Amino acid sequence: MFYLRYLRNELVRRRTRTIVTLVGLGLGVALVVAIASLSKGLDRAQQKTLDPLAGIGTDLTVTLAPQQQQSQGFGFGPGGGGGNRDLIQSNLSVLTDLSKLGKPGAHFVHDFFLPGTQLTFPQRAAQQIASLDGVQKTTTGLTLLAEHQEGVVPKIVATLKTQAKTLTIQRNLPRPTAKDFAQMQACLQKAGVTLGRPQTQQGQGFGNGFGGGTGQRNDANRQAFQKCLPASMRRFRTRVTTPSQTLKQVLDPPQTNISTTAYTIGGADQSSPNMGVVTAAQVTKGTFLSPAGGKEALVATSYAAKHSLKVGSKLNLNGTTFTIVGLVSPPLGGQSADVYLPLKQLQTLASEKNLANVILVHAKSSSDVAKVKQEIQRALPQAQVASSKDVADTISGSLVDASNLSHDLGLALSVVAAVAAFLLAALLALSSVGKRVRELGTLKALGWTQRMVVRQVAGESLATGILGGIFGIGLGVLAAVAIDAFGPSLTASSSTGSDFANLGVSTVRTATRSVSLTAPVGITVLAIGFGLALLGGLIAGTAGALRAARLRPADALRQVE
Amino acid sequence: MSVLYELSGVARYFQRGPTTVRALDDVSLEIEPGEFVALEGPSGSGKTTLLQILGALDRPSAGTVTFDGSDLVKQPDSELAELRLHSFGFVFQQFNLIPTLTAVENVEAKLAPAGGTRGRALELLAEVGLAERADHLPAHLSGGEQQRVAIARALSFEPRVVLADEPTGNLDSATGGEIIDLLANLAAEHGSTVIVATHDASLAARAPRRVAMRDGKLAGNVRAVPA
Ligand SMILES: Nc1ncnc2c1ncn2[C@@H]1O[C@H](COP(=O)(O)OP(=O)(O)O)[C@@H](O)[C@H]1O
Ligand SMILES: [Mg+2]
Repeated sequence: MFYLRYLRNELVRRRTRTIVTLVGLGLGVALVVAIASLSKGLDRAQQKTLDPLAGIGTDLTVTLAPQQQQSQGFGFGPGGGGGNRDLIQSNLSVLTDLSKLGKPGAHFVHDFFLPGTQLTFPQRAAQQIASLDGVQKTTTGLTLLAEHQEGVVPKIVATLKTQAKTLTIQRNLPRPTAKDFAQMQACLQKAGVTLGRPQTQQGQGFGNGFGGGTGQRNDANRQAFQKCLPASMRRFRTRVTTPSQTLKQVLDPPQTNISTTAYTIGGADQSSPNMGVVTAAQVTKGTFLSPAGGKEALVATSYAAKHSLKVGSKLNLNGTTFTIVGLVSPPLGGQSADVYLPLKQLQTLASEKNLANVILVHAKSSSDVAKVKQEIQRALPQAQVASSKDVADTISGSLVDASNLSHDLGLALSVVAAVAAFLLAALLALSSVGKRVRELGTLKALGWTQRMVVRQVAGESLATGILGGIFGIGLGVLAAVAIDAFGPSLTASSSTGSDFANLGVSTVRTATRSVSLTAPVGITVLAIGFGLALLGGLIAGTAGALRAARLRPADALRQVE
Repeated sequence: MSVLYELSGVARYFQRGPTTVRALDDVSLEIEPGEFVALEGPSGSGKTTLLQILGALDRPSAGTVTFDGSDLVKQPDSELAELRLHSFGFVFQQFNLIPTLTAVENVEAKLAPAGGTRGRALELLAEVGLAERADHLPAHLSGGEQQRVAIARALSFEPRVVLADEPTGNLDSATGGEIIDLLANLAAEHGSTVIVATHDASLAARAPRRVAMRDGKLAGNVRAVPA
């Protein structure tokens, strides 16, 4: 077929023009494919990584943070007080009597557990939330700020003596019988004491006489009285003697060689490996806590590296030995800790029996999350309920930037690239036709009709578009593969906790997640890129050809190349 | 014998800025079938413009052009294309071969709309003595060879008229002479009328009929006495 040979010759024999056109089209299409794929890759990375609570398998977290104004009336909260006073009280246990740790001068190692910035509350609040509509499941967790102290027991210990208390006791004593009285009198006389009071006032006189009164008498009299008192009255006297107490207490944190290192420790419900302050998905080495909840621990990879810990290492916490069964990477957002223990173990260690400071809530469906959040807030006004979005807002880093960029500009860039590809294809086709006006005029002079000329040029544009599209797809896929292979690592980081200056300890910690950028290539993207190159070339080529073919052959022939 | 062409008061104006160029001005002319006509005149006298109107590449601004009894001015474009295909054969000064097509393919380009074959194209090339160069691209042919390809192409459908615009203008005089001879002989063989535009008086002198032009007007019309 002559027309096809002509078409092929135009492409093959005008090699430079064809290559320029194909490269132009290819780059345009590749740009569309690469940008669209990259945008999709960023979206995907965001969905996977930036959905922070998904990392701990939950939709909402419920915590109780100190508030300036605390409302009353719910079985949730530390009760009474307000603001930072709660926190200070809750955390005061660290200022316990160091003398209990040993004799002054003795070496000690001890871990103190503080609730940190999140107050503890009874675990049963979780059941209350679980009963709400739309809640699928709840788990509780306890994340504490741990202070590892090591050093010598200080000598500077204040010894406080509590004063004996004066108790006023209203009690009718049995009146001594005549017989008792006679006996007492006889006894006293025998001891050489005389009673100078009328008998009728005797009972009253005893009552007044016990306190300071008797103390003014001489010792001989006093001993005699004691000896001669009836038995029932002697018993009463022993009851009112209150003992004085001696307490040793450190008034201020002692300035000794005690070294303090702070870390965070989390108590996780080991029976819920997919949702909790730590989840099985975070385990990078070793295994998750066993369901039995024994003396096992998980350690954050960064903490493990800093303290040369690995799977199998032992962790001694106040005399209890925990075996590290796994290393975990921190989730973005939510609670992240350096060390995780089964919840019960931590509660025991920290004397926080049945207390938790975070409730993780999983909604029945993701569309329910907002509603569930409202319900929880209504049921527990003191609670702070955070959704993924709230936590995501605290996440920053290149992934967020890139993702925001992709959200804001991804579509625009794709459109721009697509328009550019389309315009490029059109421009190349037009310029190619523009240079052939004389040739097309010649064809008309030979007797070709307008339709035949247009058909020929359109066919060439179509072929160029197909080839350029294929080339572009190849180039775009190659770019995507290159991005996958050597793609930049994007990071997302979030800071949790807060600077807790009251105790001189900062719990601010940053979880960083790095994601290798991928550019998944979709069929749709390829089709759009391909279609644009094809359409751009075809439309422009046909339009240009139509314009040239409409010219009178005389005019077309007169055109200089 | 009836008249092949009958032109009456043909004018062709071009607007060039504020001035109107009268490329053709009141041209009336008759051409018999089988004639060999030389259209002579200096550059810019309107030869090309007249040839284009005769070959249905252009339409006059005024006047009538009757070809074989029908008025070209009234024909639709499609009819003119059909006339160009089967009734006219063009030879240009610049050869106007398609650069991406070989010699034989250039002839096929003329045959294609009517379903002509490669064999016929090779026959035509053989007639102009270029059988061996059939697969050469125009760029690899000499000027004379390229013009031969153009002549073969123009003669494809035994056209009623061969219109040649300065066919030797880009050739040396020896080659030019050969081309004119070839054109004359083949036209006679195929029974075609030939109209050759030229500014070369010596070339024009070889034609039995000479039509002179000057400033768009006919300046002379001489028929040589048949020898
Ligand atoms: N498309 C055009 N626009 C304006 N002027 C033209 C056009 N075509 C031809 N002319 C003018 O018409 C005149 C005749 O031109 P042409 O027929 O090409 O002369 P020749 O072929 O004898 O050299 C010239 O002055 C030329 O400049
Ligand atoms: Mg001319």
